Amino acid sequence: MYPVQLANRYLTSRIIPLIAVAAVALCVALVVIVVSVMSGFLDMLRASGRTLMGDVVISYPIRGIPWYEQLIDTIEKLPEAQAATPLIDTYGLVRMPYPEGSEKEVVTANVWGVEPQSFNRVTDFSKALYWKPPASPEAAASMSPDDLRLKLSDKILNDGLNLVKSDTGEPGLVLGMHVSIANERMRNGSYRPRYPQWFMPKQYVTLTLVPISAKGTIAEPRERVFPVVNEFKSGVYQIDKNRVMISLAEAQKLLRMDAGTLYDMQAPPNADGSLPVLGTSPAKVSKILVRAKPGVTPDQLQTAVFAAYEKFAYEVAADQSKVVKAPRVDNMSILTWEQHLRDLIAPVEKEREMMRILFSIVYLVCAGLVLSIFWAIVQEKTRDVGILRSVGASRFGILWIFLQYGLVIGAIGGLFGVGLGWLVIHNINFIHETIGQDAPAWSYIASFIIAGISFAMSVRGVTTGVLLSTLLWSVLGFTLAIVGAGLIMHRGTLIWDPSVYYFATIPDQVDWFTAIITWCGAVIFSVLGASIPAAKAADIHPVRALRYE
Amino acid sequence: MSKFLLEAKELRKTYHLGRVKVPVLRGASFTLEQGEWVAILGSSGSGKSTLLHLLGLLDECDADSGGVWFDGKPVADLKFSARNAYRNQSVGFVFQFYHLLPELSVLENALLPNMVNAGMHWFSKRAQAQQHATELLDAFGLSHRLTHRPAELSGGERQRVAIARALANQPRVLLADEPTGNLDTRTGGEILDLIAEKHRKGLSIAMVTHDPAVAARADRVVKLVDGCVAH
Repeated sequence: MYPVQLANRYLTSRIIPLIAVAAVALCVALVVIVVSVMSGFLDMLRASGRTLMGDVVISYPIRGIPWYEQLIDTIEKLPEAQAATPLIDTYGLVRMPYPEGSEKEVVTANVWGVEPQSFNRVTDFSKALYWKPPASPEAAASMSPDDLRLKLSDKILNDGLNLVKSDTGEPGLVLGMHVSIANERMRNGSYRPRYPQWFMPKQYVTLTLVPISAKGTIAEPRERVFPVVNEFKSGVYQIDKNRVMISLAEAQKLLRMDAGTLYDMQAPPNADGSLPVLGTSPAKVSKILVRAKPGVTPDQLQTAVFAAYEKFAYEVAADQSKVVKAPRVDNMSILTWEQHLRDLIAPVEKEREMMRILFSIVYLVCAGLVLSIFWAIVQEKTRDVGILRSVGASRFGILWIFLQYGLVIGAIGGLFGVGLGWLVIHNINFIHETIGQDAPAWSYIASFIIAGISFAMSVRGVTTGVLLSTLLWSVLGFTLAIVGAGLIMHRGTLIWDPSVYYFATIPDQVDWFTAIITWCGAVIFSVLGASIPAAKAADIHPVRALRYE
Repeated sequence: MSKFLLEAKELRKTYHLGRVKVPVLRGASFTLEQGEWVAILGSSGSGKSTLLHLLGLLDECDADSGGVWFDGKPVADLKFSARNAYRNQSVGFVFQFYHLLPELSVLENALLPNMVNAGMHWFSKRAQAQQHATELLDAFGLSHRLTHRPAELSGGERQRVAIARALANQPRVLLADEPTGNLDTRTGGEILDLIAEKHRKGLSIAMVTHDPAVAARADRVVKLVDGCVAH
């Protein structure tokens, strides 16, 4: 038991183990914070991607998918599929209602034409709509008293869900929350119009879309005025900044993708001057989003959808009444949501792994630190080793004393590190907000006061002739004076820029898998760092150790 | 069976200081009978401490030649664990500079050999060991110092703790290296009285000293000159 008792005494009777514990804790906290933010970022990206795209995406962007109603029927009969929805995904220009006067702002936008009911079944669109009354009294209680949503009725939610202005029956448009610069994000994450008159759901915008002909050429642009019926917030900044939604029927009309008659342009005209009719040109969509039933993976659904599309294309090809045929399955893009967003997700995954590797090097710093601390401890304790050997202690016993030392430092330091990491991650948005503001006056006044006291203590050290005290108080005084000056000059720094990192808030969940692995790593590297001087101590001949000066 | 409890024959030992060879023992022999107190007297550098270290297996590099026997059995060939056991149970060391562990209390220092010996069975043996150590420290006049750290003790008190530690496992031989060398005459005399008391109860003692007055307390004096026993 003497190794346990001695290790305990060595740990509790001096300051140097506390320094080692602090060093290990900081290393672990660093890894936990960085990797947790990266993992949280990736998880948010994935969750948002899946929510917005469903599980599988069928695309044929330019020409469009004909007879899509039949295809959706086929897909919705699949045992793997829960729902499917048609979608038009294109780009357009939105003429905003501001500023006052005739020179209105025009923004480019990613326009989605959606069929509201089925789109909501696939993507939980209703959850993304921002302007709606609170769902429960608890939700209402958590809102700021001046939050506009407290005054809203279900009408605005239903208008958004149906993409219709119910008062007039006009087809409506839903804007992404950051498309309009009139919306201001509050500290608690809520939004309000910068000026009351620019509450967007009371405004009209003009949308211009450019149809593309069957030959791939650009046709004459079409525009239409839409009332804004609601705004949505997906949480992905890039989407909220760029996307607007209108009904599928309106998108098809504007892009000339709606149903029509197909004329034979090569044949001579009829007696009345009209061209002979070949058949019907069906309405088209550029994408179909499919949601999997619970328990079905996107990969399983992808395989089933692929087979369903093959069957659909074959049936259309065999149907003589349908002049326009469906594209062959080889020409279609049928991807899971993760494959569809690969360009977005893959770099983040790579970055996270790179961070893991880079920050694992921090472990080596940790091991080196423990090694040097232990080296110093063993040097200091060499005579103790000799005493222990003189009363019969074994080499293993000596080794075990110092290995326990490393084990305890690694375990406790690691625990503190995980705790510190949790604390920082849990409050990371608050910290970020605080850094983003001017430093409060009390902070630099307090810094200067403590700096002044430190300088006074330093002078006292000079008068009493204690060099160490003079030095330490001087260092503290200068440091606090610099901190105070820095706080005065601090004017708020935006570290997490939503336009770069997609999300308006920083992920604040600890990646516990990484935290546990990091803790284990800290313990292992601390024990390894301790093992070399411990083995050295165990190898010292008792008589040499006793004579050690 | 040898009549000696501890015996060294023709010990030769040379230390290497860089390229320089320093012969310390040049064929020194030594005997200690059961219950005998032998003083090893010699000037500085005569090899008396080296002889004591070899007798106690404190120097793990054995003598260049010659050997040590304890209770008639050679100890030079003992394996590591047996050497540890020899230092723990057969002999007890007292040093000039006390060599107490500063982080442990007086009682814990005195219990150290028991703790080393008990290993994982310490909890079952603790009470008995503690009682023995407390009695010993009480007999040495340290009952009021049990929880004190060595830094809080006087030189004489420290040496008494060191003797209590050396006797914790009731060894048959006490190996003392200048036990009064760091103490004033009166305190040194008190320490010698303690040792003499234990000797009267049957403890065998090999004591290194350069002080003839201290050596005079022993039953027999062996004089070491330039690494050889002077006759």
